[in-house]
Amino acid sequence: MENRIGVYVCHCGTNIAGKVEVEKVAEYAGSLPGVVISREYRFMCSDPGQEQIREDIAKHRLNRVVVAACSPRMHEKTFQKTLEKAGINRYYLQVANIREHVSWTTEDPETATKKAMDMVRAAVARVPLHGPLPTHEVAVNKEVMVVGAGIGGIQAALDIADGGYKVHLVERLPSVGGHMSQYDKVFPTLDCAACIGTPKMVAVGMHERIQLHTYSEVEEVSGFVGQFKVKVRHKAAYVNHEVCTGCGICQEKCPKKVPSEYDMKLGKRKAIYTLFPQAVPNKPVIDRDNCIYFQNGKCRACEKFCEMKAIDFAQQDRVEEIEVGSIIVATGFDQMDPSIIEPYGYGRYPNVITGLEFERMVVGAGPTLGKIQLKDGSVPKDVAILHCVGSRDLRYHEYCSRVCCMYGLKHAHQIREKIGANVYMFYIDMRCFGKGYEEFYNRVQNEGVILIRGKAAQVTDQAVLPEDEGRLIVTAEDTATGEKVYVPVDMVILSAAMEPRVDAQQTARIFNINRSKDGFFLEQHPKLAPVNTAVSGIFLAGTCQGPKDVVDTVAHAAAAASKSLALASKGVVETESMISWINPEVCVGCQTCISVCPANAITYNERRGISSVNEAVCLGCGSCAATCPSGAASLKHFTADEVLAEVDALMGA
Amino acid sequence: MADIDLSKADPNFRRELASQPGGEKIAACFTCRTCTASCPVSAVNSKFNPYRIIRMALYGLREEVLGSDFIWLCSSCYSCQERCPQGVSITEFMTLLKNTAIQAGHAPAGIKAQRDIIKGQGRIYAIDEFDNKKRNKIDLPSLPTTCEVVKFLF
Repeated sequence: MENRIGVYVCHCGTNIAGKVEVEKVAEYAGSLPGVVISREYRFMCSDPGQEQIREDIAKHRLNRVVVAACSPRMHEKTFQKTLEKAGINRYYLQVANIREHVSWTTEDPETATKKAMDMVRAAVARVPLHGPLPTHEVAVNKEVMVVGAGIGGIQAALDIADGGYKVHLVERLPSVGGHMSQYDKVFPTLDCAACIGTPKMVAVGMHERIQLHTYSEVEEVSGFVGQFKVKVRHKAAYVNHEVCTGCGICQEKCPKKVPSEYDMKLGKRKAIYTLFPQAVPNKPVIDRDNCIYFQNGKCRACEKFCEMKAIDFAQQDRVEEIEVGSIIVATGFDQMDPSIIEPYGYGRYPNVITGLEFERMVVGAGPTLGKIQLKDGSVPKDVAILHCVGSRDLRYHEYCSRVCCMYGLKHAHQIREKIGANVYMFYIDMRCFGKGYEEFYNRVQNEGVILIRGKAAQVTDQAVLPEDEGRLIVTAEDTATGEKVYVPVDMVILSAAMEPRVDAQQTARIFNINRSKDGFFLEQHPKLAPVNTAVSGIFLAGTCQGPKDVVDTVAHAAAAASKSLALASKGVVETESMISWINPEVCVGCQTCISVCPANAITYNERRGISSVNEAVCLGCGSCAATCPSGAASLKHFTADEVLAEVDALMGA
Repeated sequence: MADIDLSKADPNFRRELASQPGGEKIAACFTCRTCTASCPVSAVNSKFNPYRIIRMALYGLREEVLGSDFIWLCSSCYSCQERCPQGVSITEFMTLLKNTAIQAGHAPAGIKAQRDIIKGQGRIYAIDEFDNKKRNKIDLPSLPTTCEVVKFLF
C-alpha cells in the first residue's frame, strides 16, 4: 500500500513556536518521502486542529499521521482518538516530541529548528512500519482494596462502600485509625481528633460492604487493572477474634509490660494488647517477641482468665488471595527521627521531644493523662518549639512538610491553654496556607506566644548564666532585629519532618509503582492526575504521595475513591495494545524473558519448548524484548524495525 | 553598616563569585540565619556576620566586601557550613572572598606581613641563629634559616 503521510507541526502557542521556526519545519516535512500534506497550526490539540487532521485524512486519503507537538504522554491519546474518528487505526499515529525534547531544552533557535526537523524526519521514517493493533476490553472486578487504614484509607473505603461496592480494607496494625488517632486536637478548628475520627473508625468497622483485614499485610500483587490478585498475610494474633468479646481481662492480667509504640514509648502496654481503648476492632493481639509464654514456655495468664477461651497459642499466619478490580495505596508517612540532627540533642537530652511525642503527652487518654510534663514529672515553665526540623534542609529533606507550622502553632496554643508556660517558636517562614490557617496564626500570636524568626542553631545544656544551670539553652538569631537570642527553656519540641515510610521501597516493589525524588510514591501527573500511578488501576491516597494535613488527605483520598468507583461502575476497561509478542518460530526456550518479566506474564510451554506471553497480563514494559538473546520477543509498536528506522533517519542527517 | 547604596553595586561581582568553587550556591540562602547563630566569632564580635557578608556579596557591593576587615575574622571552624540547611558552602565562600580580596590588593597589613615571611623564609615563623642556638642547647639539630624551594613557588 502506498504511504500517504500527513505531518502536523504544532506551535503550542509560543511554547514551541517561540524557539522553533515551525513554518520551516512544516515546509521541510513536506519534502520528505511519502508525505502528502504538511501543515502547522497554533494548537493541534484544539478542536479546529483535530478537525483539520480528520478533514485531511478524508480528503487526501491519508493512511499515516505524524504530529510534531508536546510529549506523547500529554496528547498521544487525543490524536489516537482523532484518527479513530476519521476511520483509521489509532496506531497509525506517531508523535514527535518537539516541545519537551526540543523547544524547552534547546537554547539556540537555529539548533532547535534543526533538531525539530530531525525528529520529524525520524517519525516520518518510522510511521509507515506501524501496523494496526487491536484493542481489547476486560471486565472489571467490582471489589476494591484499600491498603492502609489511616484517615485517608478510612475515607476512601467509606466513599467506595457508600457507593455500593465492596471494599477490602487492609491495615498492618491491630486497629484502624492511623496517625490521626494519636493526635489530641486537629488544626485549625481544634476539633478533638478522637471526636471526629472515631465515628469514622466505627463506621468502617460496622459497614456491611467493608471487610476489615487488620493486623494484615499485602505480600504480593499480580494481575492488571480490573483483575488484580492480591496475597494478604493475616498475621497470627494468637487470639481467636471470632469469639473474643474484647472484655480486656487478658490485658489486665498479662504480667509483661513493654514500652508502647503507639504512645511513642511514653507509656507502657502489655504483651497482649490493643492499640488504644477505642480500637477497631477492639480485639487484642499477642506480641510474640515480648510474650513470656512464647519466650520462656511459661505463664499463659491470659488464657487462664479468658472466659471465652479465645486465646490460641497455636494460631498460624494465614495467607489469603483476594481478587479486586482496583487498589488504593494509602500507606501514610513516618515521622522523621531527629536524633541524626546532632545540634538539637534529641536522644541526648531527655526533655527534647518530637511533635508526635508531645501529641501523646497532651492527649487526655494518653500515657500522662493529658499532663504536659518533663521527664521528672514537673511542669515546664518555658517551652521552645523548633520548626523545620529535617524539612527544608538539603541534608535531610529538601521539601517542606506542610504541616509543621500549623501543628507547631497548635502545640503553642495547647501549652498556653493548659499550663500557661512561656512558648518560644523558632521558625524560618510561617506557612499558613489553608482555609482558616492564617486566622489561627493570628489567634495564637495573640495568646502571648513569642515568635522568633530565625532557625534555631542549637540546643545545649551549656548555660552561660548560673541561674540557667540544668536547663536547655536554645540559640538563634532573631532576623527581625539582627540580635542573637539565648533562650533558657525546660522543654524543646522538635517539629520533625514527615517522611516516606521506612519500607516504602518494598511497598513500591509489591505494587510495582514508582517513587519520586523525595521518596514518596510518584503520581502520574502532579496537577492533573494526582491520585493515579503509572500502573493503571492502582491509585494513591494521602501522605504516601507527599506530606499532607488531614484536610488535604481526606480530599486526596476521596479523589482516589472516585477513580476506583469509576472503574467499578463502568465495569469494563480497555487493555494495553502495546504488549509483547514472542515469535514461536524463533524462540529457543531459554526462559531469560521469564526471569525479567515484572508482571509474571510469560509462561514456558514444556511440550513445545518455547515461551509465550499472556496478553491480558503483559504490561508492555519491553523488558523481555530487550533481554531476549535470539530476538524472538518484541514489543508491539516498538519493534526493532520501527525503532531502527527511526534511529537510522536520525543518524542519517 | 550604612544604608545599602545600590548605585555602587556591581552585578558582575555576584556572577564572578558564583562561578568559582565555594560560591556556587550563595543565591540559595533563605535567611534563616543558622550560620550567624552558630558562629563563634560572631558571638564575640558582632561586626562579623556571615549572613550579612553573603547578602552584601549578592547585592554586588564589591568594594565594601573585599575592602572590609571582617572577612578576615572567619576562624574556618565550619559550624555555619555544617548547619546550613540550604547547602551553602559558607566557610569555603569566606576563603573565596579572602582569595578574591588578595587578588584585588585588599589584604590587611598583618596578612601581608605573614605572606612576606612565608615568601622569604618558607615558614610562618622565621628561624634565625638565636633559635638554632636554643635548639642546639637541648641537643636538637640546627634548621636551615632560608628555604630555597619556596622561591620556586612564588
